[in-house]
Amino acid sequence: MRILLIEDDAALARSIGALLRAGGNAVDHVATGEDALSVVAGEPYALVILDVGLPGIDGFTVLETLRRRGERVPVLMLTARDALDDRVRGLDLGADDYLRKPFEPEELEARVRALGRRRGGDPLPVLSVGTLTINRSTGDADIAGRALDLRRRERAVLEALATRAGRVVPRELLIGEVFGFDEPVGGNAIEVHVTRLRGKLAPDGPGIRTVRGVGYMLDAG
Amino acid sequence: MPAETRTPALRTRLLVAVLGPLLAAAILIGVVGATLIADVVRRTNDRVLGGALGAIAETVQVERGEVTLDLPSAAFGMLENTERDNVYYRVAVGPDLLTGYADLPAPDPATLDIDVPRYRFARYRDQAIRIAEVRRALPRIDKPVIVQIAETLDNRRALNRRLLLALLIGEVILVGAAALLLRPALGWSLRPLARLRGAVEIRDRTARPDFSALDAGPLPSELRPLAHAFDRLLAQLDIATSGVRRFTADASHQMRTPLSVLKVQVALARRGAGHERAEALDEIADAVGRLERLVTQLLALARAEEAGVSAPLEAVDLREVAAAVITRQFVQAVEAGIELTLEGAPCVVPGHRTLIFEILSNLIDNGIRYNRPGGTVAVTIIADPSGNAVSVADDGPGIPPIDRETAFERFVRLGSGSGPEGSGLGLAIVRSAAARLNASVAFGTVEKGTTIILHFPQSKA
Repeated sequence: MRILLIEDDAALARSIGALLRAGGNAVDHVATGEDALSVVAGEPYALVILDVGLPGIDGFTVLETLRRRGERVPVLMLTARDALDDRVRGLDLGADDYLRKPFEPEELEARVRALGRRRGGDPLPVLSVGTLTINRSTGDADIAGRALDLRRRERAVLEALATRAGRVVPRELLIGEVFGFDEPVGGNAIEVHVTRLRGKLAPDGPGIRTVRGVGYMLDAG
Repeated sequence: MPAETRTPALRTRLLVAVLGPLLAAAILIGVVGATLIADVVRRTNDRVLGGALGAIAETVQVERGEVTLDLPSAAFGMLENTERDNVYYRVAVGPDLLTGYADLPAPDPATLDIDVPRYRFARYRDQAIRIAEVRRALPRIDKPVIVQIAETLDNRRALNRRLLLALLIGEVILVGAAALLLRPALGWSLRPLARLRGAVEIRDRTARPDFSALDAGPLPSELRPLAHAFDRLLAQLDIATSGVRRFTADASHQMRTPLSVLKVQVALARRGAGHERAEALDEIADAVGRLERLVTQLLALARAEEAGVSAPLEAVDLREVAAAVITRQFVQAVEAGIELTLEGAPCVVPGHRTLIFEILSNLIDNGIRYNRPGGTVAVTIIADPSGNAVSVADDGPGIPPIDRETAFERFVRLGSGSGPEGSGLGLAIVRSAAARLNASVAFGTVEKGTTIILHFPQSKA
């Protein structure tokens, strides 16, 4: 899942980034609201994590601007303030969730997963495609009870394809969802992961079709 | 207020203050009234007695060389009354009794003026009596003719008693009514005070302290100064506590970010191994360092605000303190690649060494942190007749003039967050400590970097 993190504190940004990347997400970080507004439109983010207390234009203004532009990306607000007004204001401005600092890392991860599922239109944590079962909360996947040993990038690709099973997922969208913009993406990076996935899904799992020049599709059922 | 000295209730005080004088006045009025009543009773009865005396004296005549009289019954009728007082009379020519009671106490004729009635009290037949007597001069009679009439005092006494009783009843009613009405009257007049208390008590129950003016409705003029004084006190409290409230809110706010870092990195360290765990531990160490620095600075700020309140200023050598600070921060400067310099001769100012040390520590620390590798921080002691000063100058990126106003505020961090992590407390500490020393702190006007000057005005001594 591709996540944009807007956080002015460098140490906290590094920490959240490391935490979410370890969970198989691609995390982009910007330190100011201005930067956030300039990058968010161009990339297919599944989630925005927004700190309220930003220098320059604050988190509320960033959120307001995003929603006025019609961006529907889920937004999780991080706030260091206790005031109820802040939370209410954030939610009313169009935030999907909020978390108060200092937060439990497990809670942040769980909320990120939950918001990611909603984004796919399917809030169920377990995703089934034929014999394939993916638990999006734990990240575990199995085929008819046979556990799959997936690397985190493979897991991200599989999840991206499985949420749209039976539909063609454009290659560019897949790259955008799986890699952050500061990660080196080789010309055949996606192809490599897809090939490995095919090996692991075979012989009893759903197949992945290559739609030449367009993208990939996971067989439904 | 000492608990031992029990102050009587307001009601009791007012009761004593009002009823005491009222009672004294009642007694005084009673005494004066009794005297007046006795006087009036005596005068009115004497007038009647005098009338009777005159009527008898009128009839004393000389007929053919003999003194005669014709006692008029009307004279005695005048003296009839409900108390049935006894009436006695005596008419004498010289020592000879003409008519009446021979043993009625006789006056000394020499002391009586002619035709001027005299009144006196006397005793007769074991009774107190009032005698009216007059001496008449009759033609060709050389002996004094004395006419006397007397009555017992029952009527006078009864009248006196009745009037005194009326006076006493009036007074008792007056004092009693005052005593009875005082309590409800007090309650009624103290009602605005109760309203004021209600307005204060409401504040007690609100969760958030409310320092706006009290709303107790219209108050009587005696209570208005109290309400105004209370409002002023509230306003002062508001000013005093708003700083504290803002400070604690900001401080807790400021601690949440490094705490979040700690929690996340602890989780990562638990899950990860090898390189990842080492990285997480480094981040944990950094976050702990940030928290430690924040706590140290908060304590320094609290100390700066408390110190110097009571202790008298002592002579402090600016150069010696600056040298001590530089010695302590030398390693930090070397690690950051910053050169520290000290210039100027020893120079003594009135102050507190601890506070000056704290100020210079923060200024030099800022100079090192917000600088570029290879930069310098120059500390200069300036001896001047108008007041000694110390300046701390760095050649880092500097602070734009527009931000200098807010730089001394707590938790104001300048820049876009890309710079080094600070708490935003350093300059707040400097300002607070300088205020304790009666020193001023200001930005120097320089082209490059930041210069902050701590200036000690020349003392009058």
